[in-house]
Amino acid sequence: MKSQTEASARGDSRRGWLHKLGIGGLLAGVTGMGYAFVRALVPNVLYEAPQRFKAGTPDQFPEGATFLEDQRVFIVREQRTFHAISAACTHLGCTVKMVSLNQPKKVAIGGREVEETREFHCPCHGSKYYGDGTNFAGPAPKPLACYRVELAPEDGQLMVNLDEPVSRGFRLTV
Amino acid sequence: MAAQNKIWRQLTWTWKPASERDAGDAVVRNLLLHWFPAKVTIGSLSFRYSFWLGTISAVLFGILCITGVPLMFLYVPSVERAYQSVKDIEFVVSFGWFIRALHRLSAHLMVAVVFLHMVRVFFTGAYKNGTAANQARPVNWVIGVAMMLATFFLSFTGYLLPWDQLAYWAVTVGTNIASAAPLVGDKIRFLLLGGNQIEQNTLLRFYVLHCFFLPAFVLFLFLWHMWRVRKDGGLASVDKLSLEQKRQTLPPVKSKTYSLLGITKGRTVHVETALVNEDEHTVNSSPFLTRRILMVTLATVAVICLLALLVATPLEEAANPRVTPNPAKAPWYFLWLQELVTDTTVKLGDFTINGALIGGILVPGLLIALLAVWPWLDKSPVQAVGVWFAAQRRRQNLVFLGILVVVLALTVVGTFLRGPYWLFFWPWEAWPEMPGPF
Repeated sequence: MKSQTEASARGDSRRGWLHKLGIGGLLAGVTGMGYAFVRALVPNVLYEAPQRFKAGTPDQFPEGATFLEDQRVFIVREQRTFHAISAACTHLGCTVKMVSLNQPKKVAIGGREVEETREFHCPCHGSKYYGDGTNFAGPAPKPLACYRVELAPEDGQLMVNLDEPVSRGFRLTV
Repeated sequence: MAAQNKIWRQLTWTWKPASERDAGDAVVRNLLLHWFPAKVTIGSLSFRYSFWLGTISAVLFGILCITGVPLMFLYVPSVERAYQSVKDIEFVVSFGWFIRALHRLSAHLMVAVVFLHMVRVFFTGAYKNGTAANQARPVNWVIGVAMMLATFFLSFTGYLLPWDQLAYWAVTVGTNIASAAPLVGDKIRFLLLGGNQIEQNTLLRFYVLHCFFLPAFVLFLFLWHMWRVRKDGGLASVDKLSLEQKRQTLPPVKSKTYSLLGITKGRTVHVETALVNEDEHTVNSSPFLTRRILMVTLATVAVICLLALLVATPLEEAANPRVTPNPAKAPWYFLWLQELVTDTTVKLGDFTINGALIGGILVPGLLIALLAVWPWLDKSPVQAVGVWFAAQRRRQNLVFLGILVVVLALTVVGTFLRGPYWLFFWPWEAWPEMPGPF
């Protein structure tokens, strides 16, 4: 009697094991298939505009800020130095407008007194930024981003890299 | 917790019922199985009777719906970007080639399996009513014919989407056949293409038909098809069984009336089972039917996956309206028509009989019309229901077989034996060098 129970228990466990194997295989198959389907939706190649672009030779830029519409970025020239400030408001991403001041105004940025000739104002919710991108009014939580500017070695054009934010003090001297 | 338990029980069922009641509950109380009968005859589970072709078609349709979703996320139905997006699916997207292969192979196989299902139903006389009350099998046959046509059209609309040379010219040839219909032909083609040429309008029309309209139509017909199968008392083999039983004059058989899940009182809404000795000839649907459906599903999925690994999915050059490949062929399931069109173009002196009218419209139109009305023309006795090659239906089976052989032969000729300018070539004969496109 005992051996019979053992045998049946063994049989049951073997059957149980096969049953689990079957269910496991099914789940593994469904999971694998599901993974393939979801993975297929993660792009391997993007057809977006490149984040690193050539903006033109330095002498094409006048003194002050030039707005590049397609890339939503300001190229600021201060005599022989260049830097790039993003035009995307840090609040909700609207494009800020440059406002040239009639008279230079003295403002304190981070304890330092600076003479301003331009500001950036956001048309959506009224955020305002100083000429260097520091936010001073409205809901904007942080300053406008600054991006790396370099000279392309092959043709001497200014090259802006929107993937590489830099500190606000960054300047390219040509 | 109790509510969760209830939901769980409505979505799952026991594969190992401990009692008759358990087995019945598994079907009746379950959302996914409620459209099954509680019991099925052993004969209707037989592989050799139905070859499970209907189930396989449904599984293939399921695979197509599931694989279609990621493809819809990845495909762009625009003339400028369709080809590039399919090329990306094939070569750039992770597992894209696999999903596309699953989709394409299931589609081709579904056309074949649905057709074979129709052939099976014809040869077994399964479109005929038996002796049970309220049967309307001929209606279900017509629903089936409509579903088969929808399947052809689904496959055909999908054929254009890659926007490569194969797609473009196959659809050119296919839609030109439609324009041969008298009076309305050109208008039908104009409406189908959204213009005179296969352009952006055509691509978008085919895309919407392919992804929404036709699948929804097939799904609706499928539900109706299954509902009718239930109302007609199951497969036709059940009628054969009940007839045999009557002949044996067995002791009186239990006859049952199931009121609709016990909700309605009285006999206004009811399903009458055929008069079959349940104890002797039936088994519980759970697990005997569910298990077989699972096996058929697994086998179908396995075969498709294996084929997807072994068979390369073609993608030719991007569609170019200025360069016609020679020969330009329609999809394989329409090649018997294209062959017929060529063979029925007859020149009598200056007068040409347009083959597209005979081969493209009249012959297929007549065949489909005949198919649709055949159940009402078939006057064979009830003994021929649910029997393979019944003696009482020998003549019509032979005619059907004859038409089948001709269609298959024309398909084979069109697919394998036609070369440039639609000239005849044996498979071992080389095609002549064709001048390049420029």
